[in-house]
Amino acid sequence: MDHILKINELSKSFGDKSVLDNLSINIERNKSQVIIGGSGTGKSVLLKCILGLIEPDGGEIFFNQQILNKKNRADIDFHSKIGMLFQGAALFDSLNVQENITFGIKKLDSNHVNLTEIAVDKLKKVGLDSSVLCLYPSELSGGMQKRVALARAIARNPELLFFDEPTTGLDPIMADVINNLINEVIEEVGATAITITHDMESAKKIADNISMLYKGAVIWTGDAVDINSSNNPYVDQFIKGSSEGPIKINPND
Amino acid sequence: MYRYIYVIPEAIGRSVLKMCASIGRIAIFFYDFVVSLFTPPFYIKSLLNQLVRIGYNSLPVIGLTAFFTGGVLALQIYVGGSRFNAENIVASIVALGITRELGPVIAGLMLAGRVSASISAEIATMRVTEQIDALITLSTNPMKYLVVPRVLAAVISLPILVIIADIIGIMGGFVVGTKTLGFIEQSYIKNTLDIIELHDVMSGLIKAAVFGFIVAFMGCYHGYNSTGGAQGVGRSTTLAVVSASILILASNYILTSLVFTN
Ligand SMILES: Nc1ncnc2c1ncn2[C@@H]1O[C@H](COP(=O)(O)OP(=O)(O)OP(=O)(O)O)[C@@H](O)[C@H]1O
Ligand SMILES: [Mg+2]
Repeated sequence: MDHILKINELSKSFGDKSVLDNLSINIERNKSQVIIGGSGTGKSVLLKCILGLIEPDGGEIFFNQQILNKKNRADIDFHSKIGMLFQGAALFDSLNVQENITFGIKKLDSNHVNLTEIAVDKLKKVGLDSSVLCLYPSELSGGMQKRVALARAIARNPELLFFDEPTTGLDPIMADVINNLINEVIEEVGATAITITHDMESAKKIADNISMLYKGAVIWTGDAVDINSSNNPYVDQFIKGSSEGPIKINPND
Repeated sequence: MYRYIYVIPEAIGRSVLKMCASIGRIAIFFYDFVVSLFTPPFYIKSLLNQLVRIGYNSLPVIGLTAFFTGGVLALQIYVGGSRFNAENIVASIVALGITRELGPVIAGLMLAGRVSASISAEIATMRVTEQIDALITLSTNPMKYLVVPRVLAAVISLPILVIIADIIGIMGGFVVGTKTLGFIEQSYIKNTLDIIELHDVMSGLIKAAVFGFIVAFMGCYHGYNSTGGAQGVGRSTTLAVVSASILILASNYILTSLVFTN
């Protein structure tokens, strides 16, 4: 099977708190991988380790069969091949919407592509129009910020996309627009997407594969269509959204 | 009972270790800065923006403080000088005091309050809202994009600000000297021009460049390493202003005693 990303026994602790615990997962090329799991189980930390924003304590990450470490990320120009949507949008608040969306493009090719056109095109994909081009992030609603950040993530047509909770904070109709967008980039552009979400509706709609994280490790991986018949009590509890089950809500944990 | 014997040495040891650790971190940050300074890409537009923000926008603050400093210097030296019938040295001492010492130090300290604080708060906010992480994922080195333009802008701006502070400070002394202390205008100006030499002004400008570096570098360093949300932003801003101010006064003494005593 063709894997764009292979992660072997990744571990990361903050102080004496273990967040990722020998986590292994393989991501198939040109598929949509969804990662679900409770709050604080290390989903965002996992993405940041892949991106090189957090240095893991142990384990290996392979991208297209090449190992990813600090030096190699620069050598293979890893960041120009990926797009990342941060959980909190992370728009540059000193730049307007257009400058935010096209921020990475200037660095890629300096021959004069029409930046406004690209920005308008990407905005349309996330359900916004050109009237917001000149607004600053502080002038946008939370959901609009999220969508502009999504437009920024796809602006360079990357081959690997990371979406950290793309539909939180959006109304159900807008969430569906974003679901369709994620499906579209995978089908039309041939990209691979890794999406973290709590939104099971969205997960079922966009996922080819689903993995569930619990206490810093993958406890279930499978086809999206099998999620309802996983026979895994953790998964069952999570998709039912029940407070009864093997996952205990312990505030001291 | 015995445990209490260890409290003090432990506290001392802890703070010494902490200090060594931060010196190490600052050294690494400085090394990264130097490497980024000489490797492309160079963000010229950010540099120009920062020159306006750090240099041009500081003009009113620096002009006002320089004016009052020159004025009060004239008053005090008049009082001191008159005790041994040497009132006439007012013009000379104001000129030397401003160009060699007070111009750069006051401008540096004002910039520490104004610029260190704002740089640190801005970069710290970018850190805690993951904007710095976002820069990296968009193939942009934050050291080159954020730190280098700010530090360069401060190193370029502060000497220029100090030239202006020198002129306004001496004018402050002149206004007080001629309007309230009764000096004759022509002779005040002549005394001033007679005493000042090029190296007095130059020594002040070299200090200014060093202070400019300290101000922006401390702002960037503390902002960049900020942790812990809004409170962390506040903490790094305080640290930036305090450490920049102390380093300015300490390096002022070192520079003066080693290089500029003649
Ligand atoms: N920089 C950090 N320093 C210390 N602890 C951290 C840091 N980043 C994350 N953690 C801890 O790691 C754990 C996992 O955090 P993470 O952000 O990955 O959770 P998550 O699975 O994304 O949760 P959510 O669904 O709520 O976003 C949390 O308990 C958090 O306290
Ligand atoms: Mg998260």
